[in-house]
Amino acid sequence: MAHLRESAEKALKMLRTLPRVQLSNIRPNPNSKKNTKRGRAQHSGDKHGAGNKGSGQRQNYMRLGYETGNNPFYLRFPYEPYYKGHHLRRQYPPISLLQLQVLLDTNRIDSKQPIDITTLCNSGLLRLQPASMEYGFQLTDEGIDRFKAKICIEVQHAKESVIAAIERNGGVIRTAYYDPRSLQAMVNPSKWFEKGVPIPKRLLPPQDAVEYYTSAKNRGYLADPEEISKERLVLAQKYGYELPRIEDDPDYEMLISQKDARQIFYGLEPGWVIGLKDKLIIKSKSLPEEQANREEKS
Amino acid sequence: MLNLLNKSKSILIPALRNTTVRSTHDAVKEATPLVEVAAPTPPLILPQNWSQYEPVNRSLARQVWIENIDAIPERKLGLIELHPDVFATQPRVDVIQENVEWQRKYRYVSFAHTKTRAEVRGGGRKPWPQKGMGRARHGSIRSPLFRGGGVAHGPRSPTTHFYMLPFFKRVMGLTATLSVKLAQDDLHIIDSVDVPTRDPEFFKELIKERNWGPSVLIVDKDDIFPENICYATDALGYVNLMPSYGLNIYSMLKHDTLVLTVNAVKHIEERLLYQMNRTDATAKGGKFKLDQV
Repeated sequence: MAHLRESAEKALKMLRTLPRVQLSNIRPNPNSKKNTKRGRAQHSGDKHGAGNKGSGQRQNYMRLGYETGNNPFYLRFPYEPYYKGHHLRRQYPPISLLQLQVLLDTNRIDSKQPIDITTLCNSGLLRLQPASMEYGFQLTDEGIDRFKAKICIEVQHAKESVIAAIERNGGVIRTAYYDPRSLQAMVNPSKWFEKGVPIPKRLLPPQDAVEYYTSAKNRGYLADPEEISKERLVLAQKYGYELPRIEDDPDYEMLISQKDARQIFYGLEPGWVIGLKDKLIIKSKSLPEEQANREEKS
Repeated sequence: MLNLLNKSKSILIPALRNTTVRSTHDAVKEATPLVEVAAPTPPLILPQNWSQYEPVNRSLARQVWIENIDAIPERKLGLIELHPDVFATQPRVDVIQENVEWQRKYRYVSFAHTKTRAEVRGGGRKPWPQKGMGRARHGSIRSPLFRGGGVAHGPRSPTTHFYMLPFFKRVMGLTATLSVKLAQDDLHIIDSVDVPTRDPEFFKELIKERNWGPSVLIVDKDDIFPENICYATDALGYVNLMPSYGLNIYSMLKHDTLVLTVNAVKHIEERLLYQMNRTDATAKGGKFKLDQV
């Protein structure tokens, strides 16, 4: 950026000797203005660039892809099985560890708070489109050597080496499943709360994802916490680093904060209605199910 | 606050560290003995701490004198620091031109109107038979080919020329114009907008004395100005008052000199820096939607 600064300084210095910039002496960039007038007479007029007869002048063109009779390219192949069902497969847009580090260093994301999809989307730099079969973010290993932040992060998929990189720095990583409806709420919470609909329950993962999210190796949110601690040790030994004790960490409370399997937002339970304008949280009294739950808890 | 300024240690700008309140007062006495200065006030040194929008390079911040408007001869009342990202950016004259063009065009409605062949009176009947006349074949005497016929692709009233220049181009236009004004010595900063008389002659003399351009735009934060300045500038068409929310590129270029109050400067800087550093820029920079809830 130094050269931009220098050119700005140079230009401003030049302006001191040039005439005053006024409405009468400014003009547009060269070639930015195209002539919108209709052609008349000899040049651009007469046939107006359409030539003589034929489909060019008569605007009676052949359909796109037509190859004047032979079997066209777009009809030659009856099916392409390698794309079968691609529109139904779950997608996980990637975030690299490098990107994450940059976001943390430039204060776009607060490392003192747990990080989930909502945090990442609120930064304004990452977008998730649940409607396009995007089920969350996956953490990739680009920039793994330079990753030095201690964070509590929740993604939807992460490689073993990435998990190791985060735990090595004293952080906590979990993989969690969110169904598309919950994702829609998470991606733009304020827009979703404006609907005035009670917060839904997060659904459990589909059949083919259950194995992934119940395994401690993947730090799944449905896995046994005991197993996860064991796997942390195993990974530390595998990758050759000393596992830091998060119990001794001053941010211990934040690092171990985890959402319930049915919870979408931190601190908010399903069934609550959020009133943004009046800054209220409305909890239902009447549903017997919830009353029972509340009694159980207390 | 006054005690704070009295101590030379707390003066943050290196160049002014050796000055004290007394030396400023003496300078005023020496320079202009005729001016009736009410009471010697300590210098208004305003090093700005842009808490959220700290410039990358502090040394590029511009320092501008704060002048008086309560008397005709110029007196320097103090100093203010201006953020380089607002007052020392690249002077993008092409972006300035686009903004001026936009300001001119977006409100413009063209009322030029021509009649088509269907609207011109007459021309329903075939003028002469298709064949046998030895003449060109025609269907109506009001076709565009005919003298007195309709116009084929003429203007149709009313035609709007509304369009929105991308948001960040408009922001860049403002910062570029402010930078241009400052660089070309057409920017002055005054402490407040309180003028001693209602007489328009006061302004005429002031502009002549200080060599300000014949046309002056005075910008304050609020849209309510004191009585005196309103009466004084009413009579003069080339001295105009404006609240800071009305600041626009066309007006800044139309008037030779731009005069801002300290409050206006702070407000403009804060707003422009907020827009330049907002995190939801992608949402703001998208297509302009007219009807939005």
